[in-house]
Order: sequence, then structure tokens, then C-alpha cells
Amino acid sequence: MRYTAREAFFAFRRSPLLTGLSIVTIAFALYTLGVFGLVWLNIERVLEGAEERVEVVAYLRDDTTAEESGALMREAAVYPEVDSIRYVSREDALARVRAEFQEYEELYEDLDTNPLPASLEIALEPGYRRSDQVEEVAARISRFPFVEEVRYGEEWVRKLNFLQDMSLFLGLVVGGIFAFVAFVAIGATINLVVLAREDEFAIMKMVGATPGFIARPFVLEGFAKGVIGALVALALLSATFAVLERRVLTLEFYSPTEIAIGVALGGVLGSLASILSLRRHISRW
Amino acid sequence: MVLFENVSKEYAKTGFALRDVSFHIQRGEFAFVIGPSGAGKTTLVKLVTMEERPTRGTVRVSGFSSDRVRRRDIPMLRRRLGIVFQDFRLLRNRTTYENVAFTMEVTGAHPEEIDKTVPRTLASVGLGGKADHLPAELSGGEQQRVAIARALVNDPFVLLADEPTGNLDPRVSLDILRLCKEINLRGMAVLFVTHDPALLEHHPGARILELDDGVIVRDTASDPAA
Repeated sequence: MRYTAREAFFAFRRSPLLTGLSIVTIAFALYTLGVFGLVWLNIERVLEGAEERVEVVAYLRDDTTAEESGALMREAAVYPEVDSIRYVSREDALARVRAEFQEYEELYEDLDTNPLPASLEIALEPGYRRSDQVEEVAARISRFPFVEEVRYGEEWVRKLNFLQDMSLFLGLVVGGIFAFVAFVAIGATINLVVLAREDEFAIMKMVGATPGFIARPFVLEGFAKGVIGALVALALLSATFAVLERRVLTLEFYSPTEIAIGVALGGVLGSLASILSLRRHISRW
Repeated sequence: MVLFENVSKEYAKTGFALRDVSFHIQRGEFAFVIGPSGAGKTTLVKLVTMEERPTRGTVRVSGFSSDRVRRRDIPMLRRRLGIVFQDFRLLRNRTTYENVAFTMEVTGAHPEEIDKTVPRTLASVGLGGKADHLPAELSGGEQQRVAIARALVNDPFVLLADEPTGNLDPRVSLDILRLCKEINLRGMAVLFVTHDPALLEHHPGARILELDDGVIVRDTASDPAA
């Protein structure tokens, strides 16, 4: 163990430039992943709040009879997606608008006729609030002939879902590119060191060192680079987050567990890069 | 013990390096392996360390057999061999002490054990006062003594010296031979590979294995005329 640790940290001094490059690329990889992850996380929070309010509103034609609307309500009540249904009469609708927009009261004062349609407000069960599921319920209800129009939060829910998917995708792609560069940089460092020390490894082999023993410092070195890179990424992320939060709004940062996972991911990335580039050499040891 | 049973080694490019070689080095024995360059001495050494496997026949070294040994067992075999080369092969940026201690570290020895064993081993090859010197600060003979100390420190059963005097002048060569004899007297087998027949007369009792063109042409252990 004494040998492994000493050798691993000796390597940092031996090729500081490549070591630095390795750390920086790992940091960028995790930072990119982290930023897009934060976008994802925060959209998720918004969606969670929004989903509580996800409902389908069916506007009824003015000539809809009470029997017709009653039939729709009874039918929709047995849909597994539906949590509750409320009938909002034209008068209720107008009263609600008046209450909500008191400052525009005069606008409604002079109305001879009520321009607002009656509607059914259909709230969905918690498990059925994904945009495709909402759409499905809306489609079923719009088939009733007396239903004039069906509205639901489709547009913005879909947009947020899309944004979320995009941020995950971008995070993985851009992060993956940086991770690849990190792999190349770590591999290059190892190749340089192996070339410079071939004599030494030949001697180690002759005196009975196992390939694993020779490889261990490199793996530890890769692990250390990964962890340091992850910590750099974390510092950058916190700084970015602080700036955004001051400018924009209250956002949510990663939990301590998620941060720990991120740092561990850095270590795994670094070790893996070392192991992969060592495989070529190990067969000769 | 080191046992060669009808060993042949053929290289794809250069053809046969050894042909039907058989011998048995006993525990505690001292044997010279001599012959001109190209006779197959280096191949013989590589077969003992199992860096190479025979094309035909079997090499057995201390319980390891060339036809059964697994790759991952080879390091364990090497720990039982003490190997010395013509070009010393010391780590240039490490002191005498570190070069020897390194061998023990590699095999996972406990630091306390290293601290105890290394000075004793250095003293036994006459380098007690040179522990802190770098290889560049030592003469050729002294560097070879470091290499011998390194070979001995893990307490092998055989010292395998491949042309250990090849880079040394005659007087220093004799010192190294004398040291090897001394090590042999302490009970360790020595396989002393050399192309220099002049050394033989300084150890008249030793067994001689002479190779020529890949074939053993003389083995004094099985040759009553010698």
C-alpha cells in the first residue's frame, strides 16, 4: 500500500500538465452533466407542482341539456384516470371571472348576455398526469357531440417535458464528449508514464511483481483525478447556481446524497479510464 | 531444483535456440552454463524464469511446471528466483537501499521486515556502507553487488546470474564470482551463465554445462571423464 500511494501521487508531480488536463476535462464532463441535471431537476419540481393542477376542461355547447352533461359526468366518473368532476354553469363561470378580475368589473357589468360557456372541470388521479395520458382523456371527452372544445395544460406541460428531455439528452451528449476527452487525456498520461518507466516495470516483473501490483498506482491515480475533477465541477456548479439564483428565482440544488454520487461518479470515471488504457500494457507485464 | 526434460525451443524467425536439452540442477548446487554467444544461454535463462515456454519438453522450477503453470502464477515463481543480469538493471533514481527494498515491497513484505532484512542483505554482499548511494555513484562491481543483494533479499532457492561479469573487468569479475561462491556455500543453488571460460578455473569444483548451437555438449555431472 505504501508503494501504491507513493507512486500514485508521484505521478501528479511527474506530468503536471497532463494531470491538470485530465482533471479539467473530468471537471467539465461532470459540470456539464451537473448543469443540465440541475435544469432537469428544477423542471421536475415545477412539473410536480403543476401536476397537482392538471385538469381537463370540457366546454359545453350552449344548447347542451342537463341530461347530456349528466351522462358525460357519469361516464367520465368511471374512467380510471379521473379523480373528480365538477360542473361549472355559465353563471358560475361569469361569477368566477368577476371575482378573479375585479379590476375589470365594468367590462362585465354592461353585458346583456353571458358570453361564457358552461364547462366540466375534470381533475385527474395523481398517476395519470403525464401529457400523453392527459391527451388521451381529453380525446375521449371531445368525442361527445355537445362538447365544444376541450382544453388542458397540454402545451406547456409538453414543452416542459420536452425541455426536460432535451436537457437530459444534452447533458449526456456534451458530458459524454468531455468524458471521452478525459479518457483520452488519462490514457495519454498513462502511456507516457509506461513508456518512461518500461525498464522499471521489466525489473518489477523480474522480481515477481504481479501485473495488478504494477497497475494499482495508476488506478489510484485515475481515481484521485476523478474525485478532484468532481470537486472542481462541484465548486463551479455551486458558483453557477449562486449567480442564477440571485438573478432568476428560487431554484433547487442537489441533495448531499446526489453530490456524493456525483463525486463517486468522478472517481469511477477516472479509475475506469486508467483501467481501460492499462489493459493494453498489462498483457505484456 | 531446476529440471529440464528434453527441452527444445524454436523461434518462428530464427529457428531452434535449444534442442533436446536435459539437465537437473540440485538444491545447493553450483553450475556454470557456458558457451559462445548464440549458443542458447539466454533462451535457457528465459525458460527458467518462464518468460518463454518450451516448444517441446518440460521445464520444472521449484514446483512450477512449464506445461501447467498459469500466467498469474508466474510472479510467484519469480519470487523464488534471484535474478542478476549483465547490465545490472538497477533503478537509476533510487539508492542502493531503495533498490533492494523495492523488491520486497513489490512482493508485499511488511515495512518492519524490510527495514530489518535490507541492511543485513547489503552487509552480506559487502555494501553495508553504500546504502544511501545512487547507482551512478557506484562502480560497476558495486552496482552488480546491489543487483545481487536485490536477488537475494527475498531468499530465493536459486541465484540465476545471466552473464553477471559481462560488463566488468577481470579483477572485479573474480570478486563477483567469489561472492557467488560464498552465497552458494550458504546453501543456495547458483546458476552462473557466462561466455568467459577463464572464470571456470577459479571454481574448479563447480559443475559445467556447456552449450553449443542449442545443444548441451558437456555436462560434468553426467560426464565421468571430467
